[in-house]
Amino acid sequence: MKVVRSDIPVEPARQPAIAMIEVDHVSQVFQTSARQDHLALSDISLTIEDGAFVSILGPSGCGKSTLLYIVGGFVKPTSGVAKVKGNAITGPGPDRGPVFQEFALFPWKSVLGNVMYGPRQQGVRREEAEAQSRRLIEMVGLKGFEHFYPKELSGGMKQRVALARTLAYHPSVLLMDEPFGALDAHTRTRLQNDLLNIWERDRKTVLFVTHSVEEAVFLSDKVVVMTRAPGRIKQIVDIGLPRPRRRAELLLDPRYQKYVVDIERLIDDTGEEELRP
Amino acid sequence: MMSARTLLSRSAPLLACLVLLGIWQAAALILNTDSFPTALQAIRAIPSILGDKESLINILASLRRMAIGFGVAILVSIPLGLMMGRSRNVASFFNPVLMVIYPVPKAALMPIIMLWLGVGDVAKTLVIFLGVSLPVIYHSFQGAKAVEEKMLWSGAAMGLSAAQRLVRIVLPAALPEILTGCRTGLVLALITMITSEMIARQSGAGNILFNALDMGQYDTVFAMIIIIGAMGIGLDAAFERLRGRLVRWSEPRFDIPLSFA
Repeated sequence: MKVVRSDIPVEPARQPAIAMIEVDHVSQVFQTSARQDHLALSDISLTIEDGAFVSILGPSGCGKSTLLYIVGGFVKPTSGVAKVKGNAITGPGPDRGPVFQEFALFPWKSVLGNVMYGPRQQGVRREEAEAQSRRLIEMVGLKGFEHFYPKELSGGMKQRVALARTLAYHPSVLLMDEPFGALDAHTRTRLQNDLLNIWERDRKTVLFVTHSVEEAVFLSDKVVVMTRAPGRIKQIVDIGLPRPRRRAELLLDPRYQKYVVDIERLIDDTGEEELRP
Repeated sequence: MMSARTLLSRSAPLLACLVLLGIWQAAALILNTDSFPTALQAIRAIPSILGDKESLINILASLRRMAIGFGVAILVSIPLGLMMGRSRNVASFFNPVLMVIYPVPKAALMPIIMLWLGVGDVAKTLVIFLGVSLPVIYHSFQGAKAVEEKMLWSGAAMGLSAAQRLVRIVLPAALPEILTGCRTGLVLALITMITSEMIARQSGAGNILFNALDMGQYDTVFAMIIIIGAMGIGLDAAFERLRGRLVRWSEPRFDIPLSFA
């Protein structure tokens, strides 16, 4: 097929591989209490395309969260550079919205107050911010809970609020740091399904940190498998499963099962067979 | 059944006061000495104190000094404590100074302060200020230190500057802890107010009390103790009300409220 050049920008057929995030030879050294240097991340290079759902998978202590914090601008890398849309990251910004395992909601604000916080900070008029926030709260399934305080919500509900709060200021990239790690299995499954449904609507770039292989395969276009400390990228696995994905179909799909088994072997470091992309 | 129980729990503080007064009354009747009037005698002396213009001016002057000392202390201590809690440099600068001042009874500084500033309002207000500052600084410091890092990161991602984060995230997040410090501070303000007037006897509620003691008017002494105690209870209860409203969103710490509010 030939691409016909045109003055009119072609909407759906986006130019492939527009780099949303570039991580270029990033290393991170932490000083431990014993005044010894601990190499958390070693020479990480990674490119994440616009609209891609990318998971970082690895055992605990592999520095996967640190990598996300570096992209968020919360942690400065010891060496190397991270970029968003081609610009070097120097600090946090509303183009990169974090969702943390700890929820980190503002406990003195109601659900609505939390979700409105970002838009209000961005200078959106109150009525507009409120209307928009109410829609988001409904989208994450919390209609009727607008005036509840975080302490009155369950863990799953809190994480829904945290997601809505971050989506409210329209970040280009969602940075999700083990967002479902503190939830029970049932809630976790429901939130994964809902996250995929929400994501299908506008396909934001997502960087998703997890230690669950199933979660990573179910959600992602790409799974970045990391090694134990010092954190290095062991392999990047493209997940060629069709979208939109339905859990019930996927769990029975041998391709899904193969991805899970292969990645588990990769992590265990016992897998002998070659991983097929 | 349930309503009877609620009624009982509502009236429990009042009941406790009555029991206390009853024990006092009985003890005074049994001991039967001049220096220990009965509860009824003391209560009977209250109207004459509150009806006397001179006494009233004295009590109001006390409250005014207390309000100013408390207010200024809060305005200085909360920002200082919050900044100490969020900046290692600020904390390591102020910590040694505070560590030295903390265990010193503020009333013990009164003679020196009187020497420099006289026995008037300034000296007494300064002692109250010192008494209130330390617990408020300490609790603000602890509260600010405990603020979840990720909460601040979330704010930073929304575009809040460091100064905005201090005012709009650290302050509200630390508010329950700050108000705990303020409550301690309020009681300390009352204590330092009376002790300062005890040392620099020129005016105030403490002055009435000790003048009466000198003159052997024991029912007035005990009446003043009741008045000062009631002021303390009233102020604390009012403060607890306010605190309850401000931090409704935070977890309740006790099932039984430790106040008269």
